[in-house]
Amino acid sequence: MTALLEVDDVSLAFGGVVALQGVSFDVREHEVRAIIGPNGAGKSSMLNVINGVYHPQRGTVAFKGRKRRRVDPHDAAAQGIARTFQNIALFRGMSVLDNLMTGRNLKMKRGVFAQALYVGAARREELEHREKVEAIIDFLEIQHVRKTPVGRLPYGLQKRVELGRALAAEPELLLLDEPMAGMNVEEKQDMSRFILDVNDQMGTTVVLIEHDMGVVMDLSDRVVVLDYGRKIADGTPDEVRRDQRVIDAYLGVTH
Amino acid sequence: MQFFFEVLIGGLLAGVMYSLVALGFVLIFKASGVFNFAQGAMVFFAALTTVGFASMGVPFWLAVALALAVMVALAFATERVVLRPLVNQPQITLFMATIGLSFFIEGIAQLAWGANVRALDLGIADEPIEWLMDRTGMNVSKFDLVASGIAAGLVAVLAVFFNKTRTGRALRAVADDHQAALSVGISLQKIWVIVWMTAGFVALVTGLLWGARNGVQFALTFLALKALPVLILGGLDSVAGAIVAGLIFGASEKLAEVYLGPYVGGGIESWFPYVLALGFLLVRPEGLFGERRIDRV
Repeated sequence: MTALLEVDDVSLAFGGVVALQGVSFDVREHEVRAIIGPNGAGKSSMLNVINGVYHPQRGTVAFKGRKRRRVDPHDAAAQGIARTFQNIALFRGMSVLDNLMTGRNLKMKRGVFAQALYVGAARREELEHREKVEAIIDFLEIQHVRKTPVGRLPYGLQKRVELGRALAAEPELLLLDEPMAGMNVEEKQDMSRFILDVNDQMGTTVVLIEHDMGVVMDLSDRVVVLDYGRKIADGTPDEVRRDQRVIDAYLGVTH
Repeated sequence: MQFFFEVLIGGLLAGVMYSLVALGFVLIFKASGVFNFAQGAMVFFAALTTVGFASMGVPFWLAVALALAVMVALAFATERVVLRPLVNQPQITLFMATIGLSFFIEGIAQLAWGANVRALDLGIADEPIEWLMDRTGMNVSKFDLVASGIAAGLVAVLAVFFNKTRTGRALRAVADDHQAALSVGISLQKIWVIVWMTAGFVALVTGLLWGARNGVQFALTFLALKALPVLILGGLDSVAGAIVAGLIFGASEKLAEVYLGPYVGGGIESWFPYVLALGFLLVRPEGLFGERRIDRV
């Protein structure tokens, strides 16, 4: 298996606050990779570096073998990286359907002027993409709310819509920032199933941040553990679980 | 009764023109959350540029095309020089920037084309429609009717553009959440250029219609002030609101002038909309169709 994403010696600081310090790891094609760690360990910062929201002061991120130092979020999206956010970032005023259609933004090619006139090709394109989006809506079992403005949906469904919008872009790499935060057990099970199905059926590589240890251990192939911006462990769920440093980081240790 | 309808129709048609001005504001506000104070100046600039080119002997349709090209160039320049350095700044900063922009555009317009009042002839006569005059005796201007038709067409095109196309969705997405929009691969810069281009296009249409009616002159920039009560009533982020509110104001100011005017000595046309808007603010501050803000505490 080759590495789809390689994070090499990444350091990131905000003024005097060090968020990441010399973090390196790789993500293989087709795996589910989890990033875990206590609050403030730098997990979200790591995702933000991968999709270009933050630019690290040191180190590189290579996606599909292409090294890059500075990349902007919309470039990352164009290369095939989609993501969801810790605090849901949906287009609240728009319907579920429109949110997902917006996710296909990059797949659509017709120019502004053709669209302004809404003629021929632009219209056909719109319908084509509509089909793909409907398939995702079916997949995520959100048919019943497709026309509802997202702002009115309950939290669990919003999380699902956000996943749907990311999937609509048909990404090669899917970044999920706490996809199950604040969900009840049943919702978590649903979400886990969707993530595994995405990974299985669409072959999408997944990097996810999660707090629920049970979920992480069930879902992921390999786990990176961060603490205070440093990587303290990396391996299969079983290896990580037995690692003394991880146990210390989570349970605290007397110095 | 017939007189009442005549005033009403005249008012509604004038209202369409207010709607057009307000529409330019709504477009930019919806797509970028910026209240663009420069819209009035853009209307003036677009009209003046058209007349300017036309007076150089260029055929009229070409003058319009050239003016459109100038507005597109203006959109690119605005994004590059004004908006890009101000990314992530508070709304109020952007608003102030558009005030500056409005002075700049006014200055440039007069520097390039002079400050004289110019006539603009669209070739549509501003005279009563005879057919209607004969049947009902009502005096309805042909020009007003054509202008309304053009405005209605413009609104229909914009509505489809905003609701049914990728770029329309991208525009709304950017207004909703910058971070999320970036994550699905929308480039803010491109979207802003498109928004300002659209606003420039609306400004051009508005400028041509108003210019043909009142002459192309500096006073066109004050249309921005006329649009304010329309925006308050209609809601800053609603296209439908801009249209309905424009119609309401057009009709009410004419009716008020005719029926209430004599009691207070006339001339209430110019301030009546503001009073109406003020009253409305007390009852429904988000406007008729505006998005109601609900904050969770």
